[in-house]
Amino acid sequence: MPTTQIAVTAMVNGLAIGLLLFITAAGLSLIFGMMDVLNLAHGALFLTGAYLAWWIGGEQQTWPSLARAVVAVVVLGAAAGGLLSLLTAPLSRRSHLEQALLTLGIALVAADVLSALFGDDVRATEPPAGLDGTVTIAGWSYPSYRLALVGVAALLAAAVYWTVERTSLGALFRATVSDRDMVATVGVDPRLVRGGVFVLGSVLATLAGLLGAPIYHARPGLDTTILVLALVVVVVGGLGSIRGPLIAALLFGQVESVGRAVLPGLASFLLFGTLAAVLVVRPRGLFTLAPGGRR
Amino acid sequence: MTGINRRTFLGLTAGLGVAGLTGCGSSLGATAVSSGTDTVKVGLVIPQAGVYTPLGVDIQRGWDLWLRQHDGRLGGRRVTTVVADEGEGPQTGVPAVQKLLQNDRVDVLVGVVSSATALGVRDLVTSARRLLVIANAGAGAITSTNRSPYIWRTSFTNAQVAAAMGRHLATSGVRRIYAIAPDYVAGTEAIKGFSNAYRAGGGTIVGQSQPPFGKTQDYQPFLSRIQSSGAQGTFCFFGGAESVAFVKQYAQFGLSRTIPLYASGFLVEGGVLGAQGQAADGVLSTLHYTSELDNPANVAFGQAYRAAYDAAPTAYAVQAWDAAEVLSRAIAQADAVDGDSLAGALDSIGVITDSPRGPWSFTQQSPRQNFYLRRVQTRAGAPVNSVVADLGPLDPQS
Repeated sequence: MPTTQIAVTAMVNGLAIGLLLFITAAGLSLIFGMMDVLNLAHGALFLTGAYLAWWIGGEQQTWPSLARAVVAVVVLGAAAGGLLSLLTAPLSRRSHLEQALLTLGIALVAADVLSALFGDDVRATEPPAGLDGTVTIAGWSYPSYRLALVGVAALLAAAVYWTVERTSLGALFRATVSDRDMVATVGVDPRLVRGGVFVLGSVLATLAGLLGAPIYHARPGLDTTILVLALVVVVVGGLGSIRGPLIAALLFGQVESVGRAVLPGLASFLLFGTLAAVLVVRPRGLFTLAPGGRR
Repeated sequence: MTGINRRTFLGLTAGLGVAGLTGCGSSLGATAVSSGTDTVKVGLVIPQAGVYTPLGVDIQRGWDLWLRQHDGRLGGRRVTTVVADEGEGPQTGVPAVQKLLQNDRVDVLVGVVSSATALGVRDLVTSARRLLVIANAGAGAITSTNRSPYIWRTSFTNAQVAAAMGRHLATSGVRRIYAIAPDYVAGTEAIKGFSNAYRAGGGTIVGQSQPPFGKTQDYQPFLSRIQSSGAQGTFCFFGGAESVAFVKQYAQFGLSRTIPLYASGFLVEGGVLGAQGQAADGVLSTLHYTSELDNPANVAFGQAYRAAYDAAPTAYAVQAWDAAEVLSRAIAQADAVDGDSLAGALDSIGVITDSPRGPWSFTQQSPRQNFYLRRVQTRAGAPVNSVVADLGPLDPQS
């Protein structure tokens, strides 16, 4: 029965794409929601992760090369996050526009540097042995890597959720959003907290790039494509929570997957059509914190 | 006082405007004279930034190699090449052409990868009465409904490339095909060209999709439709990064084992083939060229190209090579470099017999040329498009 097969495959695929989208957007949402900085260089971080996956693993990843790539993207993501935190700090009292101009400039420079380093060709990489085959779902073959991605991304998502919502580190993050002077009073430097959020958000972006490399393939222009997707997720999900972007990302995973399978003629309108529909009903996003505290 | 001032000012501006215009006109007119009879200035319009950059590199290589092998002369005249960045579309391509025509005052234009840019510069080129030899852009309209007597093409038309595959498949026992290509002009023309030829031969299109161009990263929803359509094969056209994503995902979802992929040759031409890796193995495609063509002109061309650039030649490089070849012949014959003389010379140029792609000639300002059925194979560790069959010539408006 092809209809069942189409539906099942599309839903599984939507889950994989949605979770990857969450890992990508979570960092953007954290930095925007907690530190009030709109980081338009987020897509460039994703692309950097994808290029590193290819540079270290080549066209065919092995498990050791994947492990090296994970270490590399975490280190590079942390360094980039620290740098972004320092660069945006002088603008922290300025308007979003000025911050956006700065990070957009960084994104443009980064894109040119990546293009100079890795060329303008598509740099595709295949997952390591064991994940490069297919499994059978409802009678149809499905790439095993995407299935594994569901597991890994779900674990990552749970870890991020736990860190932000349940640990004292997360409490510190949230406290800095609510009242940075009080955080300073209890003896914690808010600049360190700020740096911590930037590092966490940036590492998530480069990790997402590594995980997404076998699906999206590193190439010039991928940074802006990913940035737009992540921004849509953040806008729909609302700021300052982890739950919001998670649900928004899962929603868009299904919209992009099931929606396009069922309504191929409307494929190009589905993403922004859904965005418009959500904004009409909930102009502040699905889950936005009330100003000054948690809802 | 102010009124007089304003009137004087307006008069002055108008005068300056007229002077500027006539100055511009006369300087354009004087270009041919200033070029002299022993030189020619060529504007090479190619993408140097953005997604089409690899095509621009290949075009420049083909152009440079031809000039290097011919003493830097076109039709006996010493060539000065001015390169301008076409970018990704008309918003950068049109100003680039404008700059070449008005600032650099080139005699001839060569290049243009994007069809939208080619259509966008039509009026500029026509009113400047300069020759533009298109070395890639494949929209049918450029040399048919929107034709200009000054715009000639040494590349292909999208429909022509796809029709070659449609004609071939209809006679090879594949009866049911699913067609997929992006939802922009080139994709639509490819599906149309393929479908017309395939249906004319008795084949059935069991379904078709046009994924949003530049906005599709995941082809899974479309692959599902192909899988459930009962097709015996898939015809597709994608370019650049999208061709890598599509070919890889087609293999990742296991479709390449059950439903063979047939393509317009650009899917697997040039740099993208390397990026597709194993996933492209066995893909059949049609194109007017492959580096593996076994004719004397291509063997010599391939050796020189590999020696110069340490890379296999591509259709894009050959299109530029042939642009230089026909320009040289036209300049030699016309003994002038204005658009009218060169267009007239191109019209009577006849069959080009020593091109790496095989014999071809102009029909309605675009090549009538042979198409080849090619299969992706690994040779000496690198993927190539080996020749399966010569499918014979096709007209540009097929």
